[in-house]
Amino acid sequence: MRSDLLGYVVRRILHSIPLVFGVSVIGFGIMHLAPGGPLSVYTLNGSITAADIERLRVSLGLDQPLHVQYFGWVKSMLEGSWGYTLFGGRPVLDVILERLPATILLMGTSTALAVLIGTLLGVLGAVRRYSIFDYLATTGAMLALSFPTFWFGLMAIYIFAIELRWLPSGGMYDFGEEGNVLNLLQHLILPLLVLTLVLVASWSRYARSSFLEVIQQDYVRTARSKGLSGSRVLWRHAFPNAVIPLIALLGVQLPTLFSGALVAETIFSWPGMGRLFVDALSMKEYSVLMGTVMFTALLVILGNLIADIAIALIDPRVKLS
Amino acid sequence: MTTKLTINRRTLIKSAAASSLILPATGLFRPAIAQSNRERVIFTTNQEPVQFNPLLYANGGTDTIVEALVFDALWDVDDQGNFIPNLAAELPTRENGGISQDGRTWRVNLKRDVKWSDGQPFTAKDVEFTYQTIVNPKVAVRSRSGFELIDTFKVVDDYTVEMTLTRPYVPFYWAWQSMHIVPHHLLSGEADINTSGFNTEPIGTGAYTLKSRTAGSHMVYEANAGYHRGAPKIRQFIHKFVPDQLVAYGQMRTGEIDVFGLMGIPYDRWDEAKALPNRNFVLAPQPYVQFIYFNTEKPQFTDPKVRKALYIACEMQKSIDDINFGTTPRTLSYLHTSHWAYNNALKEETANPQLAEKMLDEAGWRRGADGIREKDGVKMKFTMSTTAGAPPRQASQQLFQQNWKQIGVEMEIKNMPGSVVWGEYTTKSQFDTLLVAWEPPVGMDPDYASRCHSKAIGNGANYTQYKNPEVDRLLDEGVTQTDVEQRKETYGKVQQILLDEVPFAPQFSVVQGNMSTSALNGFKANQYVTDACWNVHEWAWA
Repeated sequence: MRSDLLGYVVRRILHSIPLVFGVSVIGFGIMHLAPGGPLSVYTLNGSITAADIERLRVSLGLDQPLHVQYFGWVKSMLEGSWGYTLFGGRPVLDVILERLPATILLMGTSTALAVLIGTLLGVLGAVRRYSIFDYLATTGAMLALSFPTFWFGLMAIYIFAIELRWLPSGGMYDFGEEGNVLNLLQHLILPLLVLTLVLVASWSRYARSSFLEVIQQDYVRTARSKGLSGSRVLWRHAFPNAVIPLIALLGVQLPTLFSGALVAETIFSWPGMGRLFVDALSMKEYSVLMGTVMFTALLVILGNLIADIAIALIDPRVKLS
Repeated sequence: MTTKLTINRRTLIKSAAASSLILPATGLFRPAIAQSNRERVIFTTNQEPVQFNPLLYANGGTDTIVEALVFDALWDVDDQGNFIPNLAAELPTRENGGISQDGRTWRVNLKRDVKWSDGQPFTAKDVEFTYQTIVNPKVAVRSRSGFELIDTFKVVDDYTVEMTLTRPYVPFYWAWQSMHIVPHHLLSGEADINTSGFNTEPIGTGAYTLKSRTAGSHMVYEANAGYHRGAPKIRQFIHKFVPDQLVAYGQMRTGEIDVFGLMGIPYDRWDEAKALPNRNFVLAPQPYVQFIYFNTEKPQFTDPKVRKALYIACEMQKSIDDINFGTTPRTLSYLHTSHWAYNNALKEETANPQLAEKMLDEAGWRRGADGIREKDGVKMKFTMSTTAGAPPRQASQQLFQQNWKQIGVEMEIKNMPGSVVWGEYTTKSQFDTLLVAWEPPVGMDPDYASRCHSKAIGNGANYTQYKNPEVDRLLDEGVTQTDVEQRKETYGKVQQILLDEVPFAPQFSVVQGNMSTSALNGFKANQYVTDACWNVHEWAWA
């Protein structure tokens, strides 16, 4: 089975090469065809003239035909630098990698918590459908999804950091506390709270509907009629089947673990990928934008592959072929 | 094939859940930071510097902090507008023989015993290399303003350089004030300066050295004990990045940060900020003036009388009072009213909608059937653009829109992302009108040639495409005058003509509310620079 699995993985990777290529062409094309460009950042400088802009266009290679710029970028991808930033002249891969740990920590923890809590809430909601608990959970989820993240974030900072002063308002560490895990946890609480709240809200809805579908199946009724206890039916019979669509969903959501949270990272000064993307977008930093697009594309492919393998391992009906 | 479960399902689910909780915290550790809050100062901005090479950053702003801390220029400008020698031993003048009588030859004597932070001596070679880099076509240096006038550059000896200009140019002081000196010994061997490692690991002669950088979080600088103007009194300088302005202001209130500079406290919080205990509210005039830019080549705006009418119909003072809470001073020129060259004879003529109507009638723009004025088949309809998502600017636009509607003029707000509106839309004069804040082009010198000299249309920064032979003549004269009173008179005339013909209509000069912990001495505003850390070597704890 292991060699088959390996073969499957290799085949899938080979299949995804044209996909990655297509994403890069479309991404590069759209980015350069969109109006405006990175040189506008210079215009805001008082001493800049139109002649300076033209000179910089040449110095930065932006005067080259689009296909020449594209192949230059492909070459740098293959060489491993992923291109150089226009503002700073650094390898894009370095810029991405230095932001990655912070994002993985924040998004990984919040997603893990959200999956645990959300699944639990979803199961309870499905089992006790139309109970007071279910109504409360549903209403709570709708509320959490309706309020914007930045509002939650600012309120959390205002209450816990500025008024009560229980928790820090942002960043990963206090100065001088770098590497102190307790200090890190203190900084993690508020962004985690805000992100998890929103994620739990959506995740509990997915889990609820998935479980509702499963517990209405004939085999669950059969198990019940055999006289099995309620919890045994739920956890041994219903649960494994109900989590299958959730695993597929988790696979699709994998890229968000790495691409980061745009709003929460800005509000909580969290040094992650989300802020990198926002900054790059506002300056039209082409190489960083392409880097993040390609990174996300690779993760989408990887996430789907992992989800498919996980489902095949869990669900005997699914074939890997 | 069908997979058989070789792994127990529950084990798999459990292990998947457990592994997602094991999170990488490695790679987050950085060198130690001073524990005592009197050994360090925490300075905050909302963005983080991306380019640490002082010749290469794109726009004066966050990147100037690295420049001010790590590098030195030949001379600086203080908060009174005086040039103070820095790497130069003295300021070259006609009196001390540094500038020749014809104003074309500049001889600069450099300080001896200045060292780069890696221990190498600073010499004339570094100044020469800096000049060569600025004019090197392969290097993406943002501006050559002033440097393109250098005809010959000569290293006389290790501590003397001599430059001959193609014509006398008094604002040349500003060229060297805004470009800091980079090391020849580290950069001359680089194949491509644009992507050199130096740009993230800079070595300078400045008051601080960059110790570490934590992406997205902060940068730590250590005092340069051998600094040629005396070692800084505060051992560590921490530049912290807090992207959200309100959150940063909150951190200033709680004492998490010592200095809140560069982005300013929101105007609606000024009263509250001024009343906070143990905090200094620092009113910081910025070199920027906000204008309405008229594209004078568009048929609606070719007649100066029309531009003037549109200008005086605007409730400029109301825009300041209602939108900026009265914080930003009104100015009638491209200079702050406190600038030494400001023409105090300029008269406020806004808001006078009756006169504006009369002037438009006289200029031949009559109301059509739809109430909109028109002349020769052209309607007085146009757009106004600025960066989208800037609420105060949009509020100003809405006020002007109402003001103009009353006099039969229709303006449509057409805001776009910064990367669009300040691209070719501006530099190739594709706009109708813009709402924009700009500092003068040559440091804080009153020379405004690149913005309104007819020679600066197309390749300069005369984006309004304004032409006036008298203004051209005055601007040409102004840069050759060394007598301050003469210059004041010349630029006073320029300001009067610009106010009469309004290629750009000044709205207000920008001020910022910055803040520092009261115990910190030396944090001072300087309206002649865009840089909040201009005198960082003088900062000290009480």
